[in-house]
Amino acid sequence: MNVLIIILLFLALLLSRVTNLKTAVIILLGQSILVALACAIVAAETGAVHTYIAAALTLVIKAGLIPYALFRIVGMLRREREVNPILQPNYSAMVAGIMIVLAYGLTDKALPEIVSRDALAAAVAMMLIGLTMIMIRRQAVLQIVGLITMENGLYLVGLSVTQGLPLIIELGVVLDVMVAVVVLVILTYRLKRSFMSTDTSVLKKLKG
Amino acid sequence: MEQWIVLALVLPLATSLLNMAQLTEQAIRRLNLTGSCLVSLTLLVIVYQVAVNGNIQAGQFYVDALSAVLLLVIAILTCTATLFSLSYMKLEIVQGHASLKMLKRYYILLNLFVFTMVCVPVVENMGLLWVAIEATTLSSALLVAFYFDRPALEAAWKYVMVCTVGICLALLGTILLYYAQVSADIGGGQALSWQALKAASGRLDPGMVKLAFVFILIGYGTKAGLAPMHTWLPDAHSQAPSPVSGFLSGALLSCALYAIIRTSIIVKGAVGPAFTEQFLTGFGLLSIVIAVPFILVQHDLKRLLAYSSIEHMGLITLGLGIGTPLAMYGALLHVINHAITKSALFYLAGAVIQHYGTKNILRIRGLVGAAPVMGALFVAAVLAIAGLPPFSIFYSKLTIVWAAFQSGSAWLGVIILLLMAAIFAGMIYYTLKLGFASAPRRVAASGYRPGKPAMAAIVVSLVLMAGGGIYLPAWLDTLITRAVAIMTGGGL
Repeated sequence: MNVLIIILLFLALLLSRVTNLKTAVIILLGQSILVALACAIVAAETGAVHTYIAAALTLVIKAGLIPYALFRIVGMLRREREVNPILQPNYSAMVAGIMIVLAYGLTDKALPEIVSRDALAAAVAMMLIGLTMIMIRRQAVLQIVGLITMENGLYLVGLSVTQGLPLIIELGVVLDVMVAVVVLVILTYRLKRSFMSTDTSVLKKLKG
Repeated sequence: MEQWIVLALVLPLATSLLNMAQLTEQAIRRLNLTGSCLVSLTLLVIVYQVAVNGNIQAGQFYVDALSAVLLLVIAILTCTATLFSLSYMKLEIVQGHASLKMLKRYYILLNLFVFTMVCVPVVENMGLLWVAIEATTLSSALLVAFYFDRPALEAAWKYVMVCTVGICLALLGTILLYYAQVSADIGGGQALSWQALKAASGRLDPGMVKLAFVFILIGYGTKAGLAPMHTWLPDAHSQAPSPVSGFLSGALLSCALYAIIRTSIIVKGAVGPAFTEQFLTGFGLLSIVIAVPFILVQHDLKRLLAYSSIEHMGLITLGLGIGTPLAMYGALLHVINHAITKSALFYLAGAVIQHYGTKNILRIRGLVGAAPVMGALFVAAVLAIAGLPPFSIFYSKLTIVWAAFQSGSAWLGVIILLLMAAIFAGMIYYTLKLGFASAPRRVAASGYRPGKPAMAAIVVSLVLMAGGGIYLPAWLDTLITRAVAIMTGGGL
């Protein structure tokens, strides 16, 4: 489990530097597989059948359907990549580092006696890194990747504090995430068609 | 009893699916009118059952007086929104903004949206409540982006991003609540069951519940358009087709508030009312304050109404924050009143915009002269939303302000009255310009009249409001009183 957490944190750090859309989606794919694996490990520890189902579900949707949809849209946006990021990669990696420290601090403060402290802190760090990605990246696809990273982090939080939510809720959450990605991919596709770009910094006409 | 709930969920889905069949324009209209009337009737039956026979409980379904208030709102708005859509979309097709394919897509999404909104008040479980609320965002996102032009895309992108991030925080709060439940060993298999949590709220870890509440309030507060998380709201409401704007403003925001109310009942049980009240009062007041300057200096008709929605959500939250039974009564009554009036106003705005071909308030002049019936209705609707008697909103606003004075925070009452006065002045100023100057010649000559269904939707809404101001039916009074009892921690 600890190795898993280290790799997950490493991938999150890597994500904060990536400017190529395809690479970002590949990293996201790896991240989702690891999250499903973490879920399977918890399932093996607790022996609960419904956790195995949740792991399988995560694998199918987050490591299957969502990356598939993202790869398709990235294939369509061949020449797009993150240019003129709000923060240069070095700074953005530094922000991610700060987020990891912050996550450990917050976890120790809010839940001092929790058993799976490292897993929880890593999960919170993933959430925060996902959130910063949404805020400091301009490429639509990278924002979607940030959103899924945040979601994955949230999923790990649930896993590390309560061994996951009940199956029916888990089912609903995963379904919602999938629909969210579909909606966002449709919007990205339309952005490309009407703005000739998926750089969301063009979206600033509505004000006041 | 529970079969009615299942019916209320199946009907909109079925209507949505039927729209996919090969249909003519005429058939689509008939189908959706029938579908939405049936949905409304079913919802009203549920509300009636709850008012007469008490709560409905079956599996994951649970409807009490509080849910019934929201179901009432959804029932009325489903019907009026579809009625208005009939005329609105017809004209959109005539004016060339939409095609038959888009019409189908519109109704498919609209019915899905109704389905997700009905889900919100009928589920019993905090986790499923989260799922339902996120589903409302997703089903309405493509409605906001309906025209797929640049501003619509921008609005929809912000809408999905801001609301999804916000709602992720609410999920975090829900997980923390679950953690509190698991550590206190409450309710056995009933994970996140609202009733189990409420019944045993005294045993939850107070620190954890407080943390959970903050996340949940920020998350659902984003969805409810509370400042400073309201940034998506004016964009989304101004870009969506008008019937959808009315729906978003009236029902969707109320759904998010409903989630906040449900959570705060548990939190009150665990840590006492003072903790939730300070947050609710703070966010409520901030929302009203932030809405004022945008209402006073606004050029876009639909954005004006959107900011007015932020103001009203703030007022309701403030009512919840004051926390006396009287204030909560006022807040719930205001939820109903605001939903009906604001949706009517958005429908009217839609008709006006179609007529004048612009959203710019400064270019819309002489409405009363150019289209007398519509102009008169518009003025009446603005007076209603601004809180003039005999319209029912006057009474719910009065109740909230009265409760503020009564609960000992007179300064709060004075601030609300001053802000209301400023907003009233702003709304009336624009309405006078919009209604009574001389109309552009092109518009004046057109002799425009919106379709009969559209007029019916608006007239019904306004009659309900005027009637509600003069006479509040006893069953509704009982229903709200019971809902208030639930909110103050009394009978389940």
